[in-house]
Amino acid sequence: MAGASKPRPARGEPLAWALFAAGGTVAALLLPVHAAILGIAYAAGWLPSDALSYERILDLVGHPIVKAYLGVLLVLPLFHWGHRFRFILHHQFGIHGARGVVAGLCYGIALAGTAIAIFILVRI
Amino acid sequence: MREELRRPGYLPPMPRTWWLRTGPYRRFAAREFTSLFVLAFTIVLLLFLLALSRGRDAYESFLGWLDSAGAMALFAAILAAGLYHTITWLRLSGHVQVVRLGHRTAPRDAVTAAMVAVWLVVSGAVAYVHIWA
Repeated sequence: MAGASKPRPARGEPLAWALFAAGGTVAALLLPVHAAILGIAYAAGWLPSDALSYERILDLVGHPIVKAYLGVLLVLPLFHWGHRFRFILHHQFGIHGARGVVAGLCYGIALAGTAIAIFILVRI
Repeated sequence: MREELRRPGYLPPMPRTWWLRTGPYRRFAAREFTSLFVLAFTIVLLLFLLALSRGRDAYESFLGWLDSAGAMALFAAILAAGLYHTITWLRLSGHVQVVRLGHRTAPRDAVTAAMVAVWLVVSGAVAYVHIWA
């Protein structure tokens, strides 16, 4: 109601920055080791032969603590991406209008990814 | 006209590629672009878990893809961008997170060193559980 004609303060902004910071920290601490194991060490043949076997990984991921961990590993970095990509669109791609549309698109994709992550983790 | 009303004062025109002009601008842009590889990692991890949820055949064909040259190239790019993000983020944490010790504050380098130690310990623990435990 108050100040309908003035620019509204963006109420979601502190939350967006908090998720960006939390996701940035999760990605900084955890992404390299996962990328190195799944993407490099496995293909290079550095892992024990059964390290990524179906039984072993199904057993590991089936554990509730591991599921919660994977939820954090997937969801917070998604919002880190959403926040940075929003500013990539403004800074590097030079889109200066449509701030609401850009924000909605970026955080909307992160929210959709969150829903997909929960759906997949619940089914395992 | 509305732009002029909303932004009083002189705004110098900026070329679209302003962020390619100098080293600091390029490094700033590079840090923002690492987020695209964070997204790529999230998508690949989701596909890995989706394959796991669909049973042995789907999972093993995903492992087959992980063994391909294309997947290895993608992961090499994700790892390189991820390490750049880690280094810049942990260095920044010494500036962002002020640690008070009584009336004094911990030096920035000590905060960053502590974060690097946390990173190494956490990475070791993840590798242990992921590979051996």
